[in-house]
Amino acid sequence: MNSRLSYDIIGLAVFAAVILFGVPAFFGYDAFELNTFSRYLSLAIVSMALALSWGTAGLLNLGQAATFGMGSYAMAMHLKLKASGDGLPDFMGWNNVDTLPILWVPFHSFAFTLLAGLLVPAAVGGLIAVFMFRARIAGVFVAVITLAFLVAFQLLVIEQQGFTGGQNGLTGLAPLVLFGWTVDIYSVAFYYLVGACLMVALMFGLYLTHSKFGLILRAIREDPDRTRYFGYNVANYQTVIFCISAGLAGLAGMLYALVLEFASPTYMSVSFSLAIVIWCAVGGRESVLAAAVGAILVNLAEGRLSDVFVEGWHMMLGVMFLLVVMFMPRGIYGVIVDTFRALRRTSACDDAAQSGAPLNSKQES
Amino acid sequence: MRRRDFLGRAGAAGTMGLAGGLSMPALLSGARRAYAAEDDIPVGLLFSLTGAVAVVEHTLHDAALMAIEEINAAGGVHGKQLRPIIEDPASDPATYADRARRLMIRDKCVSVFGSYTSSSRQAVLPIAEQRNNLYWYPTLYEGRECSRNIMYGGALANQQQDILLPWLVENFGKKFYMIGNNYVYPKEENNYCRILLEQLGGEVVHEEYVPMGHSDFSSVINRIRAEEPDVIFTTLVGDSDVAFARQYHAAELDPEKMPVCSLTRSEVEVKAIGGEAAAGHFSSAPYFMGHQSAENETFVENYKARFGADEVTHFVSEAAYFQVYQFKAALDKLDPANISPTAIRDAAVGMTMMAPQGEILIDENLHTHLWPKVGQWQSDGQAKVILQSDERISPKPYAAYPGQDCTGEGLVKT
Amino acid sequence: MDVVFNQAFAGLSIASILLIIALGLAIIYGTMGVINLAHGEFVMLGAYATWALQTHLGLGVITALPLVFLAVAAAGWVIEKVIVQRLYTRPLDTILATWGIGIILQQAIRLGVGAESKFVRGPQWLSGNVEIGALVMSNYRLFVIAFSLFIVAVTWLLMTRTEFGMKLRAVIQNRGISECYGIEAKKVYSVTFAYGAGLAGIAGALITPLFSTIPTMGTGLVVDAFLVVIVGGLGSLVGTAAAAMLIGEVTALFSIVINDTLGRIAVLAGIIILIRFRPRGLFPSDTRR
Repeated sequence: MNSRLSYDIIGLAVFAAVILFGVPAFFGYDAFELNTFSRYLSLAIVSMALALSWGTAGLLNLGQAATFGMGSYAMAMHLKLKASGDGLPDFMGWNNVDTLPILWVPFHSFAFTLLAGLLVPAAVGGLIAVFMFRARIAGVFVAVITLAFLVAFQLLVIEQQGFTGGQNGLTGLAPLVLFGWTVDIYSVAFYYLVGACLMVALMFGLYLTHSKFGLILRAIREDPDRTRYFGYNVANYQTVIFCISAGLAGLAGMLYALVLEFASPTYMSVSFSLAIVIWCAVGGRESVLAAAVGAILVNLAEGRLSDVFVEGWHMMLGVMFLLVVMFMPRGIYGVIVDTFRALRRTSACDDAAQSGAPLNSKQES
Repeated sequence: MRRRDFLGRAGAAGTMGLAGGLSMPALLSGARRAYAAEDDIPVGLLFSLTGAVAVVEHTLHDAALMAIEEINAAGGVHGKQLRPIIEDPASDPATYADRARRLMIRDKCVSVFGSYTSSSRQAVLPIAEQRNNLYWYPTLYEGRECSRNIMYGGALANQQQDILLPWLVENFGKKFYMIGNNYVYPKEENNYCRILLEQLGGEVVHEEYVPMGHSDFSSVINRIRAEEPDVIFTTLVGDSDVAFARQYHAAELDPEKMPVCSLTRSEVEVKAIGGEAAAGHFSSAPYFMGHQSAENETFVENYKARFGADEVTHFVSEAAYFQVYQFKAALDKLDPANISPTAIRDAAVGMTMMAPQGEILIDENLHTHLWPKVGQWQSDGQAKVILQSDERISPKPYAAYPGQDCTGEGLVKT
Repeated sequence: MDVVFNQAFAGLSIASILLIIALGLAIIYGTMGVINLAHGEFVMLGAYATWALQTHLGLGVITALPLVFLAVAAAGWVIEKVIVQRLYTRPLDTILATWGIGIILQQAIRLGVGAESKFVRGPQWLSGNVEIGALVMSNYRLFVIAFSLFIVAVTWLLMTRTEFGMKLRAVIQNRGISECYGIEAKKVYSVTFAYGAGLAGIAGALITPLFSTIPTMGTGLVVDAFLVVIVGGLGSLVGTAAAAMLIGEVTALFSIVINDTLGRIAVLAGIIILIRFRPRGLFPSDTRR
């Protein structure tokens, strides 16, 4: 365990160095490129949040985009109110809403917005989790329920046009004012803000996976029944990790709304949700760090490919992803771990074995 | 046999994608050159080539690209070529925002042409405003917007409905059934329609909205049967409209008694609906493919020669096409050393031009004066124009909202 | 009252389309536990195959059905051989792999045939309505309802009355032991996957006259079809039919009582609750687990 922890810490340090020093230097502190990159970093957070529930606890959450969307709407509501001054947000007028809905009122406060962006998704994630895991629902059914929830939630957001802006989402947002600092999203400082959020999230994620809590989650992933016989309340553990994962997705959503300066119901679409799963799978679902790297790499590839191959880039992404699923089931992380193990085979003690492949086949028989 | 067929196609598709990519290194290196480019003028094309709205948007892309090619073939502007930088926003508003930034900030485009849906325009709008760039939006839309950084080429509610509604009420009756997709455009159009109907003594028997992409209309058709309206007033878009039209036809509802009158159905949708199912119903638009004018003949001819004989032009692709020419005409008026998005905008205001639909004019509020028409679809997939405005209609983005007006200074409240 | 009957028929016709799409998915899922997210793309392939047969050979929708079935089944067979077969030990990964396949198929069609929507003519002899009092039923929709029942019947016969069906059921119950008895499980899986894909192709052919044929048409359908399968219960044909019926009728009912959007939300919420309390569906079969 200890050596694995030290590998992860080294990995995180390298990653942090690359993100915080390497990338800005590579782009020559160019504001536009860094803004694009901060978008990838915020997506890395939602990917690593999924790795917590999927990789660690074996719960494939296809509704991750819903909680991500909640975070982005929380932030966008705050900024929209700011942009509207004393008046109503413009789209409410378009939908014949005359007074500010009660739901919106507290979002005048930035502190409330921050809390809501983290806690509302966490609470919703928790409710769904309690609902599911008390009934010992597992495997494919978790995927189905979260997927159905996602579809219903997105429909609801689009339907409630007067409150949410419907299909158009919330646009025309004011810049965020953070302790007197007006956030310019095209600044190096903003890049570091997003980068810092990612690092904190990753450290938190690494702490969780290496704690006893993480160990029990992995035990649940391998065999929930046996873990239950050991006296652990499996449902509670699953619920807590679902909450945490949803809260982190909310954080990612808030940052994403800042970076793109709007919130859209497409953040809650099935394809976006599956995209998150893809990033996580490409990086390696077992490690939060790898999942974050996966999100950054896939989005980087998408950005570059779509630049060069305007017509064919979707196809290439599909093929790339398919190859990863087929030949690198544990993602880039798995390849690295296996290579290390092969290199170390000569040495006497093979402690890497304990990070063995997830026995997915066990969850569903 | 079939399998080989399929494999062959997949292989061909793969190679095409690759070839498409490889034939574009000029574009790529061009993008890098943009910072120091003096010998050409970078313009962005931001239409979805993949995803749900690609069905319509790729035709806009084609029309705009063709206009650029025509201009370049004729010697460009001030001896400089227009350099199209193509991005695929994949029908996703977030990607729109991202790609718009790329075009406006990194590639230093002086103008970007793009969008079909309202949500994608709304995603790009804040970026165009912050960067003080110019976004040319060819689609009909809901109005109630007054940006100084968007050139609106499509029809507004007043340009689609003012001539249409009195005619509908007179010829078919006063009971309207409204059906649209659930987003802001249908709702605003229906708002305006209600105002006009009130003046005309008409009534709305039912108003309903279905989710985007909704494809089973059996319930809706039952309701229509039960309500027996005189006119079905639709603002369904894309595949929802296609599915609705086909199921309406399959249910044998008679266009002579209950015509469907659409603000969004164009030649593209009719091609998918099939002429037979579309025949007898109406659309209101400033342009139809069959319109008789020298400009339109050239446009349709060139378009077919470039993209295939069975391709169609329609009222949004026409606007995508003429907007490039408006852009070019504005550039012509400018000093080549002093080209900026705002200079282009200021030069474009008040400009007239012969478009395929007739002589159009850019208003000081950056919307376009157009020639409204009502067409009845024929079984060959073309519309017969049965009502035509005898004057050019000015754009009123706030027609439904007295006390507000969009002017050259932006939104004015009185 | 007329509205009730008409709406009940509408529900039935929604159900028949759901059923015909879900059936292939149910067979694939029930047999090998593969969640085939590319199923919507098989439906799309079926629609495009119909379009191609109609445009190039002049075949009608109904006459093209057997060919469409074979064509899409062949595509499914290849995909199973090349990709899905490697993933039987990792059922959750099949969700991801088949999603990737879906993207590729969509793009292949888009690049090969074009992004614009295609027109497929419906059969002339099925135009028109049957009217019983105020109840109006479109002939084509009646045909689709009948055909969906026919497919269920054929599939049921295939599963219970043929040697292949026996092998299939054996493999479902215990792959290892069936292999000891000389059943080639791999072959059974390939054929089953191809059959499921072929059914999706038929679904695509049948819905083209009503819907619009575009590369993305399958994406929206697969989620609904998948929910039908889960609600019906694993691998249960009767369950799938009942679930399609239930969801179709409830959708139609909500659509008239509230509206289409809120109705859909209500149906989804209902499904979530149903899965919570009957995770193995309405008609769980005893074969698995």
